[in-house]
Amino acid sequence: MAATDAELAALVIATRNDAAFGELIRRHQGLVRAMLQRMCRNHALADDLAQDTFIRAFEKIGSFKGTGTFKSWLCSIAYTEFLKSARKRKSTERVLEKFKSGVDDAEAPRDMGNVVDLDRALATLKEEERAAVVMCYSCGMSHSEASEALKMPLGTVKSHVNRGRAKLQAYFAEAEVSV
Amino acid sequence: MTMDDAFDQRLKAAFADAQAPLEAPAEADAFTQKAVQRLANPNRKRVLILGGAGSTGSAVAGTQLEGVFANIPAPADGLMSNLAFLMSPEAMAAAALAVAAGTVALILPRRIV
Repeated sequence: MAATDAELAALVIATRNDAAFGELIRRHQGLVRAMLQRMCRNHALADDLAQDTFIRAFEKIGSFKGTGTFKSWLCSIAYTEFLKSARKRKSTERVLEKFKSGVDDAEAPRDMGNVVDLDRALATLKEEERAAVVMCYSCGMSHSEASEALKMPLGTVKSHVNRGRAKLQAYFAEAEVSV
Repeated sequence: MTMDDAFDQRLKAAFADAQAPLEAPAEADAFTQKAVQRLANPNRKRVLILGGAGSTGSAVAGTQLEGVFANIPAPADGLMSNLAFLMSPEAMAAAALAVAAGTVALILPRRIV
């Protein structure tokens, strides 16, 4: 029987075992990368951040107490890495925005199943709404897990998810009408 | 929990579709291998910071050590007096610096837990 995440994490804490941590990376890399790709809208940057997330997780694995799931602990680190990177990029992006305005949204959205359309729809949400929606729908977290990962009060997370979901629904409804 | 209505199902499916290519075994293996390789290599930035701090500390200590060792009286007789030529303040300062540099070299490749 395969070891659980908590068992592998305990092994890594006790022995700093790279192979055990490698298994944890293999299990969760898709989730973390997908989450960061939806938040960053830049696949190369998202992969770099995902790498940093796992390195950071390895360094501070001693702080994983097993009270929540390993997945939500990892997503919390990924979100912190994303925020750190976003802060660094903010000034650069302000300059770049001037050059790329109007280019991204030239094509009309078609279908929710299309990754590009999903990303375009998510781009209409505020950063906190996008993070909350991604945590709940992409990572499959409950509101309380997302609240823990995002370090936001539960009520705030619920509002962000509901507002974000409503905006997405309106976006796709409008897209379907216009096609 | 999410609402779990038809739109929720579509939304979850869209996120799952976006994640599916990343779960392909080849893709997962490549990413995992890269991450594990990075775990084995110490962070270059950390090496530079610690190395810089260690070198600066050693250089500052080195300027002070000679004065400290100059105050140690060399034995005038006995076996140790034959080794007095090895115990000049400069030689002792050099030995202390070598120990400091060796310690920094030993610690740098290790990861701080």
